[in-house]
Amino acid sequence: MKKLLEISLGVVTSVGGFLEVGSMATAAQAGALFGFQLIWAIVLGTICIIFLVEMAGRFAAVSHHTIADGIRERFGFNAFIWPLLAVLLVNFLVLSAEIGGVAIAAELATGIGFQWWALPVAFLAWLLLWKGTFGLIEKGVSMLGLVTLCFVEAAVMLRPEWKEVAVGAVPSLPHHDTAKYWFMAVSILGASISPYLFMFYSSGAIEDQWDKSYLGTNRAIAGLGMSFGGTISVGVLIVAALVLGAHGVNEVDDYNQLPLMLIPIFGFWGFVLFVASLAIACFGAALEVALQQAYLVAQGFGWNWGEDLKPRDDPGFSLVYTLTLFLAAVPITLGLDPLKLTIFSMALTAASLPLTVVPFLFLLNDDRYVGEHRNGVVSNAAVIFVIALGFVLAVVSIPLQIFGGT
Amino acid sequence: MQLLRDILDKQVVDREQIKIGKVDSIVAELKPGKPPRVSAVELGSIALARRLGSTPARWTAKLAARLSGRRQARPHRIAWNKVRDIGVDIEFDIDVRRTRIFAWQDWLREHVVCRIPGA
Repeated sequence: MKKLLEISLGVVTSVGGFLEVGSMATAAQAGALFGFQLIWAIVLGTICIIFLVEMAGRFAAVSHHTIADGIRERFGFNAFIWPLLAVLLVNFLVLSAEIGGVAIAAELATGIGFQWWALPVAFLAWLLLWKGTFGLIEKGVSMLGLVTLCFVEAAVMLRPEWKEVAVGAVPSLPHHDTAKYWFMAVSILGASISPYLFMFYSSGAIEDQWDKSYLGTNRAIAGLGMSFGGTISVGVLIVAALVLGAHGVNEVDDYNQLPLMLIPIFGFWGFVLFVASLAIACFGAALEVALQQAYLVAQGFGWNWGEDLKPRDDPGFSLVYTLTLFLAAVPITLGLDPLKLTIFSMALTAASLPLTVVPFLFLLNDDRYVGEHRNGVVSNAAVIFVIALGFVLAVVSIPLQIFGGT
Repeated sequence: MQLLRDILDKQVVDREQIKIGKVDSIVAELKPGKPPRVSAVELGSIALARRLGSTPARWTAKLAARLSGRRQARPHRIAWNKVRDIGVDIEFDIDVRRTRIFAWQDWLREHVVCRIPGA
């Protein structure tokens, strides 16, 4: 019974972690411009992240190392510094985008410009991290995150042609805007396969003191949680395709267009639901990314870390998330467009994947860490696939950014 | 046991299980006619910077000396004979509060963290 509760909480948590400004914005853009045609990118990204999250959890439960600890110990500091720098940079941009997402929601709700909201949002997030415990952050925010299920509800109520949805789950070549199509595919993959997600998950497994008895729980959480998250993203895409696309809104280049999505279905409450979903999903993600930044630095340099400790017991750790949060609010305060930043940081996330995923291949096959729980053929094939995909994305994302970016 | 594989970059904890850093480098003694002997491990940014090259090492040492005085311009050393246990972490039989390793974190605690309400 306790395990069942643990699994459901974990699933809820992963839903909260999966859906953030990146997946919402990329899915909405893709749906508006290409209909159901890019559903395959969400499906593919979800399958990849299921494998990576399962491995990150298994690695933590068996070896009692987080992924960051493992990379540093196994490959040495001189190799570790590259994923460290890349993830710090990508996390910073993503955090800025998430803060921007909450700020946009606040602008939609109040009419006061989003620049004014960035610092208050960062402050609120900081306050929760400063005073709160890991359980509060993990469970509280993700429970609220269930409001995003309204997109699935909306997608079902719109009665899409399910056959066409299924066709969209199979990759196909675009009929128009070829460069934009591939750029969006890359951004969707980047939004789904975020390094912060699996690195955060492995830190969480250590914070919750997982051991080998959690391997089954881990598998269930990774599979169900990420599938749920992917389902909501597909929901966003379907709604965007049927509402925005059908009303002639093909280019989502302004956040103000997004709340229109739910209004035809839920009326005024659609507007409220959209604003609440955007605010909560982005705020939850901002908390997780800021924490992950602090985890990464503290684990990389071996400082004391833990969200359950009082800031006075881990001053270095607390300082990192404090600085990160307030620095990340600066670009938004200066008026940088959150939507552009989001799409850009998702493409960059995709490009940084090889640096964080290649180590999985070694760590999860190393007897000294995972012993008999090492990767099987399927898991290894999945890692190799993600690495190959990562390399392709790394090479194409910059040129596509120039030719297909918004 | 292989030094580079099994010791370098491992998490170091003190006798109270406080995480105090990683094994940033290993110090070995060479005496004529004898095999090299590990005498200590080093922790801290200066030891780390030395691994990246001589330029980062010089800069980091200069910065450390400027920020916290000449005494901090060398890496922290823990004698190898203080090792108690090597498992997921390496435990040394020391008390981190009686070393200078956490000097910067102590400074941070006193001057920044404790001045913010709720810490």
